[in-house]
Amino acid sequence: MSSDESTEAGDAQREFVEQWRDPAYNCFSSGHKFCRNVCPVMQVTRNENHSPTAFHANIVAMEQGGLTVADVAEDYVHCTQCGACELRCPNTLMAGDFYRARTRTVDVVKAMRALAVESGLEQPNWKRWVEATVDRKNEPVLDVPVSQENVAKWAEGLGLEAGGETILFVDCEAAFYRTSLPRAVALILRAGGVEFGLMREQWCCGGPAAEMGYVAQSREFAEHNVADWRAIGARRIITLDPHDYITFTEDYPRYFGPAYEFEIVHITELVAELVRDGKLQLSKPIERVATYHDPCRLNKRKGIHQSPREILRAIPGLDFRDVDHVTQWAYCSGAGAGLSIERPELTRAISGQRLDRAAQLDVDLLVSACVWSERPLTEAGEHREPRIEVRDLMELVAESAGLEVTP
Amino acid sequence: MTERAISDAVYDELVGILGPDGVLTGKSARWNRTRVPAPFPVHRWHEHVPDVVVLPRTTEQVAEIVRLANRRKLPVVPRAAGTGLTDGATPLNGGILLDVKRMNEIREIDLLDRTVTVQPGLNMLKLNEVLQPHGVMFPDDPASYPCSMIGGRIGTSGWSLIGARYGHTRDLVCSLEVVLPTGEVVRIGEGGGRKVRKASTGFTLKPLFFGHEGTLGVVTEATLELVPRPQAEFAAFFGYRDYDTAWRSTGALARSGFATLAGVVLFDEWKLAYLRRDDEAYIEQPDWLKSVVAVAMYGNEAEVVPAAREIMRIGRESGGTYLGDEVSQGDWAARHDRYAIPLHGRLRSGEVVPMSWHCEDAALNYSVLPQVHEEWHAIADRYIERYGIFDDWGIFAYTNGAYKPWGDYLVEIDIGIWEQRLDDEGWAAWLNCKREITEVTLKYGGSISACHGASRAGDVDYVPQELGGAFDVMKKIKRTLDPNNVMNPGKYLLDQAYED
Repeated sequence: MSSDESTEAGDAQREFVEQWRDPAYNCFSSGHKFCRNVCPVMQVTRNENHSPTAFHANIVAMEQGGLTVADVAEDYVHCTQCGACELRCPNTLMAGDFYRARTRTVDVVKAMRALAVESGLEQPNWKRWVEATVDRKNEPVLDVPVSQENVAKWAEGLGLEAGGETILFVDCEAAFYRTSLPRAVALILRAGGVEFGLMREQWCCGGPAAEMGYVAQSREFAEHNVADWRAIGARRIITLDPHDYITFTEDYPRYFGPAYEFEIVHITELVAELVRDGKLQLSKPIERVATYHDPCRLNKRKGIHQSPREILRAIPGLDFRDVDHVTQWAYCSGAGAGLSIERPELTRAISGQRLDRAAQLDVDLLVSACVWSERPLTEAGEHREPRIEVRDLMELVAESAGLEVTP
Repeated sequence: MTERAISDAVYDELVGILGPDGVLTGKSARWNRTRVPAPFPVHRWHEHVPDVVVLPRTTEQVAEIVRLANRRKLPVVPRAAGTGLTDGATPLNGGILLDVKRMNEIREIDLLDRTVTVQPGLNMLKLNEVLQPHGVMFPDDPASYPCSMIGGRIGTSGWSLIGARYGHTRDLVCSLEVVLPTGEVVRIGEGGGRKVRKASTGFTLKPLFFGHEGTLGVVTEATLELVPRPQAEFAAFFGYRDYDTAWRSTGALARSGFATLAGVVLFDEWKLAYLRRDDEAYIEQPDWLKSVVAVAMYGNEAEVVPAAREIMRIGRESGGTYLGDEVSQGDWAARHDRYAIPLHGRLRSGEVVPMSWHCEDAALNYSVLPQVHEEWHAIADRYIERYGIFDDWGIFAYTNGAYKPWGDYLVEIDIGIWEQRLDDEGWAAWLNCKREITEVTLKYGGSISACHGASRAGDVDYVPQELGGAFDVMKKIKRTLDPNNVMNPGKYLLDQAYED
């Protein structure tokens, strides 16, 4: 590194510390560490420097000249950005709104990862992953051909058009890997009388890149997608992936400011409404014993926990064994924020733990509403005896509505 | 990258014991295992950093690490959750930081003899989640219940908020396994029993390992007492116009003689002001209120229901106004959550700045509470006036054994300190403030600490004065068990044991 570069890196770090030291101190000076026991990564590594509180303390130590971004960059890999720590923090619970001092660990992790990238401290697997995404414009989902020619292949034979006021945004994992999910969603929307179209050219939402610290790449993708939405006159975007929902409701407004004019809807909220209004009939019984996995980005990050439960309770024949959404603050699949790319063994351990909790309820089915959770959870469920199947809530809805989802 | 702070030979030996995954030499791993929640000289953080962090999983690994340290005369500092308030888990002389968080197994649940055997890195809330379906619980309930761990509870001899009913940590541990400073593994209990609660064979050694703060070894397993989950709970909050009436009422409630009484807590005017500050979860109470007494009972319905009626009568007849069911039932959680809100810090000007919570937690007799109350606030006020980095977050008192009329009290003054503005002068002032508070405690026949330990800078200076000849016994024990002074050296002034 030349001296110019090193000064630049030093400036970036100083600027970062200046911005984050007071919020970090709000955590540092809070004596208790209630966050630690709900943190999915801490639950499996038991390593204190992977804990949410350490992510804040590091910044105080950086201000004191004790640590640099090079000393801490790798620690910040150990986060799924599930947001449980923020909810469990006494600061958030007791005084957060009054002082607008809600603990913001997710933002801190994203910012530190961005500083690491800016400082040339890249994680090898994330770097490869981002390069492949830049190249293909969609996430490099394993073992399947990912490219713009294939991005809407999941919709073959459904007769869907591009354009319209309402757009269905199908994230990369669903578009290329779990194609039964977007097909089910398309049939449900059609059965419920919701008119919708697809994008002309859909790139990755850019959310994962932002989560890993690659902000410029994330913005570039966002700008492409928003330009496409505007060009086709879209007003409302339906997401079936909670990660997209977060990206479109949190990252995009930051990028585009007040000019960002879109209504973002998550499919669970929309389908719950269709069922409630009688526009979608769930009449075919599903004789299974099931529990529900609250996706972190719906429950913990966005407070969406009622609509999926409402839908599950409307499915006839289903023996639904619930775990309340607050208990599920401590649950996660481990798939979020790139953990599964850089530390797949931790994702496996976290998913395994989630399945252990499901098994305590004697269920044979774990229902999720997050497509990214389904691959590791499915794998963990298959390795159990007795086996626990993992399905997406929308796949169940389609089945109960009598819609035949052909692959 | 970061240069390693230990020699290759020590590193290799530790990796041989634990594998590479269990030996952390990175700077962030070491810096993050330095701090505990007590106010800390942040500007001198670098002075308290260990040289290496180890994450053992088994007793044998701990024993091997301690044997290595003893052979090479390296300091070993045990650390569980690191939520203690007396710096017990903060290394003073570098060395090996022995983090027990990976030792979090439940080894045995014995429902017949009602014990559970666990490793020290287990948290109480997690343990009770597992015990709940069996209808039993481990009734140790510190304010840090959701995050503190068994090992730290033993090391600091923790206080339980429902301890008046069920006993405190030291009463709830039947026996424990300890790796001594020279690496031997011993079981310490009543006599030689593992699950026996009371025996009279030999010396009663068990209490020696409560509150030693890692100076006498490392706890690697503990057999804990289980109790039935209570059928009934009752809580009542009473309000008062002045502290003296509230204090007299506290005494009357505590002398009621009910075994189901789990605690009687007295909050003063400063504490109420702190709790009232912009706290979104705080249930509003009338302005005339200057003091509050909270009572809790746990037990079988046959006991709690009639006792609750009597407690209500005593509370009212001794001058209390019942504050209603909403406050009484809804605010009890304050005990677990409310002490850690840095945004409740205020400068003398009223400006809000984030402050850390510090508490001086003396054990005092009931009779002296009003005098101590007055003198402590006067000390805090002088420091607030002069230095602009402190705030008075009030005093609360809590009974230690409500059914015993002679029961002493945990009396705690909570002081906010603005660590971001600390320098050597501010830190020195802070230590003097604590010394003055401690002097008042000793003047009134109290003990420096009821539950956190007295090994913090400032407080620790008075340990020889409080204990007198007993401190010489402590030194003899320390030197006998730890001939090379490897276990948490520098704590409790025990280095004096090695001065000829």
